[in-house]
Amino acid sequence: MNPRIYLIAFVIVALAGCTTAIPESYHDPEMEFSALRTIAVMPFSNLTGDKLAAERVRNTFMTSLMATGVVYVIPSGEVVRGIRRAGLEHPTVPSIEDVVKLAAIIRADAVITGVLKEYGEVRSGTTTANIISLSMQMIERETRKVVWTAATTKGGIDAFDRLFGGGGKPMNDVTEAAIDDILKKLIY
Amino acid sequence: MIFLKSLFTSIIIFLFVIPVGISGCALKNEPARPVSADAPDDVSVLKIAVLPVVNISGTPAPLHTIHQALLNSLNRKALNLLVPDLVESVIRKHRIRYLGGINYTTSQVFREEVGAEAVLITSLELYSEISPPKIALTSRLVSTAEHMPILWMRGIGLAGNDAPGLLDLNLIEDPQKLLDLAVQNLSNLLAHYLSGRSDGADFQKIRNTFRPRVSFLAPVLNLDMKKRVAVIPFFNTSERKHAGEIIALQFVKALTAFDNFSVIEPGVVRQTLLDMRIIMQDGLSLADADLIFSRLEADLVLSGDIMDYQDYKGLEGQPRVDFSAQIIEKKSREIVWAVKSHNRGDDRVFFFDWGKIRTAHAMTTQMVQWTVGDLVQ
Repeated sequence: MNPRIYLIAFVIVALAGCTTAIPESYHDPEMEFSALRTIAVMPFSNLTGDKLAAERVRNTFMTSLMATGVVYVIPSGEVVRGIRRAGLEHPTVPSIEDVVKLAAIIRADAVITGVLKEYGEVRSGTTTANIISLSMQMIERETRKVVWTAATTKGGIDAFDRLFGGGGKPMNDVTEAAIDDILKKLIY
Repeated sequence: MIFLKSLFTSIIIFLFVIPVGISGCALKNEPARPVSADAPDDVSVLKIAVLPVVNISGTPAPLHTIHQALLNSLNRKALNLLVPDLVESVIRKHRIRYLGGINYTTSQVFREEVGAEAVLITSLELYSEISPPKIALTSRLVSTAEHMPILWMRGIGLAGNDAPGLLDLNLIEDPQKLLDLAVQNLSNLLAHYLSGRSDGADFQKIRNTFRPRVSFLAPVLNLDMKKRVAVIPFFNTSERKHAGEIIALQFVKALTAFDNFSVIEPGVVRQTLLDMRIIMQDGLSLADADLIFSRLEADLVLSGDIMDYQDYKGLEGQPRVDFSAQIIEKKSREIVWAVKSHNRGDDRVFFFDWGKIRTAHAMTTQMVQWTVGDLVQ
């Protein structure tokens, strides 16, 4: 066989390996994350059609973050009280000044905000599956900087679903997988 | 040839009968089992006022019939019950509108005016007459003594097809029959407790399936000393009306099972929240928690969110429950325990509905028992 064919095949395979993966998280290299003790989780911004989805995801995230034992998470009722006292107009997308003001009231070292981009069922042809897509960022009170960001997408329709159907995993399981992924990007 | 044909027919019949038979043997929910056929007929002399049944099912239900069935069943156990008319007259005289619990004032009224030593409060959590019928009831006996301890608390969630038996011979299709079974179970349990043959707690066999998904326990929480707990109605984001109260009652029931806790009567907690005008828009703030600690002399406040609480009607479907709970401690003013749990009635059910749970009540009982068990151990 013509050796050129081998060469072309080799080049194609080599080029495919040169694709760059877009990093899904960022850690401020100057930040000492172990110094963070108390964290407030703000209400998430909800870009989905499900009104309660953001609250559900936030609730699961808060419990999971606390369960890591690494930081203390301020109760959501206390965060709401702080938001009211600080007079935040847009608690889902607070400015740096808002964050500093709120953190001082509820005594938080950092504040996490989040955006829920997708939550629920996706359809492709006759196949359906549950999907979640969210991103988060952490703003530290002292430095007034975004010290961590991460994004994740879990669930959706894979090759198995396309071939055999089945409807994918339950929404709760997909949510937990996404939050586990986000926490790995934060802590480990 | 005839022999082979006969053998073939026998095999076909055998293969048909076995699955049908096995499907009829689907595991019965624990509460569906009658506690004992020989429940004591002559029990304690504790004078009990039986309050009318409160409907927190979110659907219309024949409350008078249910209340009467409960009274009849209790009367058969020869309990020392106050005459219903007397209880009714007290309710009317003092314009007691909330019957889902008692506070210090109503407790005093029942104690001093009619001599009641305890009050039996019953909530209807589920009622469906669509075949197979379903019902869920929770009862608690609260002392009218000074601190109003919860003496006994049990719940029961039944579906007509919990244990259909071989060829559905044990299928219950009559809602009245299921109601009688439910109230008979509750009466037996109460009679057992009052005769001193069992304690006031609800201990059931619980399955691993219903373990919480995420849990956190702070080392600062010390349960060596008995803790006084106030359970706040959960923040309800589910589509089920009163789900916040239902899940709170489940936690009250589970906590009373342990000697580590002294649970404050939910009626007292409700009155305190009303008196102090505490409205929880998104969980409990520390300022609210401080008020509850001081007013109720509580050591712990348990609150949470209920995201999903679904029952289903008829044959097809499965219950779904999704909640998170947390405890704030008085001393540290911090969350010392947090948990997240969600399940469906057919979780890990693979063959012939074997082990399927058909009411959200029965499933939540197991889920909450797991979470509280984890907390204590």
